[in-house]
Amino acid sequence: MSNPIIQKIDSALSDAGAKLLNAVTEAEIEEVRIEILGRNGLFPALSKEMGAVQPEDRKAVGQAFNTGRTRFQELLDGAKQRLAAGSGAKSCDELDLTLPGRLRKLGHKHPVTKVIDDSVAIFRRMGFIVADGPEIETVYHNFDALNTPADHPSRDPGDTFYFKDGRLLRTQTSPVQIRVMESQEPPVRIVAPGRCFRRDTPDATHSMNFHQIEGLYIDRDVSLADLKSILQAYARELFGPNVSIRLRPHFFPFTEPSVEYDFSCIMCGGKGCNVCKQSGWLEIAGAGMVDPNVLKAVGYDPEIWSGFAFGMGIERIAMIRYRINDIRLLYENDTRFLEQF
Amino acid sequence: MNISYNWLSQYVDISCGVETLAAKLTMAGIEVEAIERSGGIPEGIVVGEILERKQHPDADKLSVCRVSNGKEELQVVCGAPNCDAGSKVPLATIGATLTDKSSGESFKIKKSKLRGVESHGMLCSGRELGLDDDHSGLLILDSALKTGTPLAELFPGDTMFELEVTPNRPDWLSHWGVARDLACLLDKDAALPEIKTPVPAKNEDTANLVTVLDQELCPRYTARVIRNVKVAESPEWLKERLLSIGLRPINNVVDITNFVLMELGHPLHAFDLDKLSGKRIVVRRAADGEKMTMLDDSKLALKPNHLVIADAEKPVALAGIMGGLDSGVTDSTVNVLLESAAFFTSNIRASSRELGISSDSSHRFERGIDWNMVETASDRATSLILELAGGELVNELVDIQGRKPEFKPVVCRFERIRKLTGVDLSNCRIVDIFKKLRLDVSGIDEIKCVVTPPSFRLDIEREADLAEEVARINGLDAVPVVPVTSKSVASFSKDAYTGLQGLRDELTALGLYECLHYSTVSDKSALSDSRFVSEDVIRMDNPLSLDLVCLRPSLLGEMLATVERNISRKNLDLQLFEIDNVFCGNPQKFPEERLECCIVLTGHKHPERFSAERGELYDFYDLKGLTEAWFAARGIEKFRFEKAEDDRFAPGRCAAVMIEGKCAGHIGELNSRYSTKFRSVYPIFLGVFETSAILKAKLESPLYSPLAMFPSTTRDVAFLADQSLQHQAVVDFIRGARLKNLEKVELFDIFTDEKAVGAGKKSMAYTLTFRSSERTLTDKEVNEAFDKLREKLSAELKVELR
Repeated sequence: MSNPIIQKIDSALSDAGAKLLNAVTEAEIEEVRIEILGRNGLFPALSKEMGAVQPEDRKAVGQAFNTGRTRFQELLDGAKQRLAAGSGAKSCDELDLTLPGRLRKLGHKHPVTKVIDDSVAIFRRMGFIVADGPEIETVYHNFDALNTPADHPSRDPGDTFYFKDGRLLRTQTSPVQIRVMESQEPPVRIVAPGRCFRRDTPDATHSMNFHQIEGLYIDRDVSLADLKSILQAYARELFGPNVSIRLRPHFFPFTEPSVEYDFSCIMCGGKGCNVCKQSGWLEIAGAGMVDPNVLKAVGYDPEIWSGFAFGMGIERIAMIRYRINDIRLLYENDTRFLEQF
Repeated sequence: MNISYNWLSQYVDISCGVETLAAKLTMAGIEVEAIERSGGIPEGIVVGEILERKQHPDADKLSVCRVSNGKEELQVVCGAPNCDAGSKVPLATIGATLTDKSSGESFKIKKSKLRGVESHGMLCSGRELGLDDDHSGLLILDSALKTGTPLAELFPGDTMFELEVTPNRPDWLSHWGVARDLACLLDKDAALPEIKTPVPAKNEDTANLVTVLDQELCPRYTARVIRNVKVAESPEWLKERLLSIGLRPINNVVDITNFVLMELGHPLHAFDLDKLSGKRIVVRRAADGEKMTMLDDSKLALKPNHLVIADAEKPVALAGIMGGLDSGVTDSTVNVLLESAAFFTSNIRASSRELGISSDSSHRFERGIDWNMVETASDRATSLILELAGGELVNELVDIQGRKPEFKPVVCRFERIRKLTGVDLSNCRIVDIFKKLRLDVSGIDEIKCVVTPPSFRLDIEREADLAEEVARINGLDAVPVVPVTSKSVASFSKDAYTGLQGLRDELTALGLYECLHYSTVSDKSALSDSRFVSEDVIRMDNPLSLDLVCLRPSLLGEMLATVERNISRKNLDLQLFEIDNVFCGNPQKFPEERLECCIVLTGHKHPERFSAERGELYDFYDLKGLTEAWFAARGIEKFRFEKAEDDRFAPGRCAAVMIEGKCAGHIGELNSRYSTKFRSVYPIFLGVFETSAILKAKLESPLYSPLAMFPSTTRDVAFLADQSLQHQAVVDFIRGARLKNLEKVELFDIFTDEKAVGAGKKSMAYTLTFRSSERTLTDKEVNEAFDKLREKLSAELKVELR
């Protein structure tokens, strides 16, 4: 049991503290000051009782007396400052909890960036590193090395932007595959997000500027099963554990076998709805086993190395994920749009 | 390409039904893009026999008929002029539902009264049943039909599939081609009707009939002459076939060539022999400037890179692409020359693209055709012409062949197939798939087999191509999902993306919204950044529109467009950034591609707050503070702001941001020449940074400094100074005085007021914090230091202490 003087100080501090916190006028503060420090206040009274304190308690009581007085002065000063700053419940006793809070809000990443960030994070967890390449590309990297025939329609100036010097704006992120393989020995395990360009007239689903993320894995004994597994893992990480994946045979010059891959519709779960056109599946993008000609073009021996590549449109994923129905919204940068993500 | 369900069913058993078929095709790589059902007579419509026709008592145009439905006699009121007794016509019985094809509206047949006379059904026209467009009267049916037969049995509906055929598989561009692959997928047999080589009735001299002058571009040309044909309308079955895939019937000979094209995938052309000058064919390159009018009336000026089918004088067809206007088969044609040929794919593709003409024929020739089908298609079409248009074949097949394409055998190692596909298939299963695909398999042993593709499989050249076939036919659904493993990681080092991601994280944490703009911009937008002149800008050779011809040299132009757009939409409070590639064509100024970072602040800082804070507007110091906080968060320590003049900013309101002595960008108030057109009254603050300068700045790893143990003491000093005295000069001066135990110097007030402090003067007030790490300071020692400083300020900095 502590000394009664210490008890008095403690209880006076807590009473006065509460009063000061709720004080809304200078007069209220002054009232408390007089009650504690005034000539007939608590501390002058207590100082008279100090003489009667037992010697063994004297040190502790003296300390409590001093710190109590200092603490009390701090409380008084704090209350005065609070009033001077004009804050606090000056004219009402209760807080209005519905008033807007004052913490500065965080900003917003663009939905395209969010999808890229999340995709990169997922692929990094699966051991991929991020590579990049230039947006102004050579015909060699964008087409030739990717086994695209010389008269392939995608090379047409109607589809691809060219420059006077013969170079082009890359139409896909696939040239990054070539640049990476040219610069290092296998194995390779990369993803390459980036901007691509096609000479498409803009509408609700087409944009001449868009983003892709490319994936490439070259190693010994890489199979279609590895491709399917990685894409399924990605789909589930991004869209949830119930998403399934479907591969369909397709054709691309730079892969053989080539596939297109679909995710089960995230709206209806595969039952069929308007978004998936009743099919239960959402077409995502293309992939396949890297064509032996592509491996040869970069000096990899297709007898030793095999691998898969995939690419997907970021805008497409973002539009599915956030239910955005017009790609042009992504490039308008209306802040009412941006702050939704 | 369109295919018809009924047509397809002629070659392979597809009783599995439309849905299953569509799914099979899609999963086999022939994507079904659309399914369109047609025909299909609804239930409740039967063959009715009109037993008796009477005039309606109260309506001139209506008749009252007694009609048999095979079981009973019904009274039906009919408005058609041809509801004569004895005719067999479609009878929609009560309960049947008809759909108007044009409006899509359905209606149900009910017992009704027409002008007081009961009617127990409806007699139908062809249009009412969706069978044709005839609405002039009832559809008169064959009188031999049994009354009461459901019409659905007589007019089975059809389903048209719109297929997306990938360019590597031209063999799928026909009903037979699709049937051949389907047989394998459905595990059924596929067979063509027997096609015999027609026997000529005569043996005319054909020595000069065909001359091929360029065998590289035309490696095979065959021709047959059929004389005395009767060009007429095609029989129903043939018209139906063409209509079922959306082709318009023309006449029997032309329809047959189109039918064979869609059946076998090989394009044919029928010439009117009598319109060919010299009655002969010359396959040659066009002369430079040679003119020709096409079937569709377009006029072409040709060049020597275009291959033409000519007669003795002039081109009569653009080889493999389209026939000429005057040489085709018309109603007056008597003698036909039937062409079946092979052309060099690349040449057809180039010509088709260059001349802007494509056709079903060029679509196939540019992808590649089946060499062996050249003859088979001619056989098939000739037989059909003889059968349907009469006439007589007067020669053996003229067949001029150049170099035949080679089909090289491909070695297939079973283990390799398993490794590529990831599916554990037996050797037998693999061989079985090849055989079902009609690939020739030989040399089978434990580890491999040798596969020779047939003439219709132009896509099989390598082992990987065979792996694709195995994966496809075995089904990609059978590819297992295995645990994700990585036997190797190529690199552990930090990639460029990590840096960018960090910057974006930091700027969003500082409250900014990220924007994304087109890289392709207008000249005006590109040159809005005064650092660049027209020659610095990289321009596309073939822009989509003249509006978007440049690659942006800076983020500024589009960012300002976004600011303007937002302001016009009353989004007045903006805090925006973008980090992305910009381009420069002048290597003296910048590298071709580099990353820039652009920041904009304008409007209210805290529009969501209440009271006085609500009105606070962004100013220069917010942007400066944001920059400082950003750099501090990154660990950049060696940076400062220097006065700068830059045309993008308002005069005197710009700072260069220097990192380690090098300029990393500028911040300041936007030059009003940009903003005057914006409908905003608030100043706009702009920051433009070289992203690489920020990413490459030396980052100081924080070192722990011990937390102060002893209390601090503060002293305030206020003074009047000239307007020109800068804050940093004061801080530097105080620091320079090397006061003992001085911990912090903080500005706490600054103001100008002509009355209070005088013109050209300002009042500045600082708090100095003193602290020792070893003991509590005494008032005395702090006062000594502080007084010394006051003296120095007054004497050396020439300020007027208050």
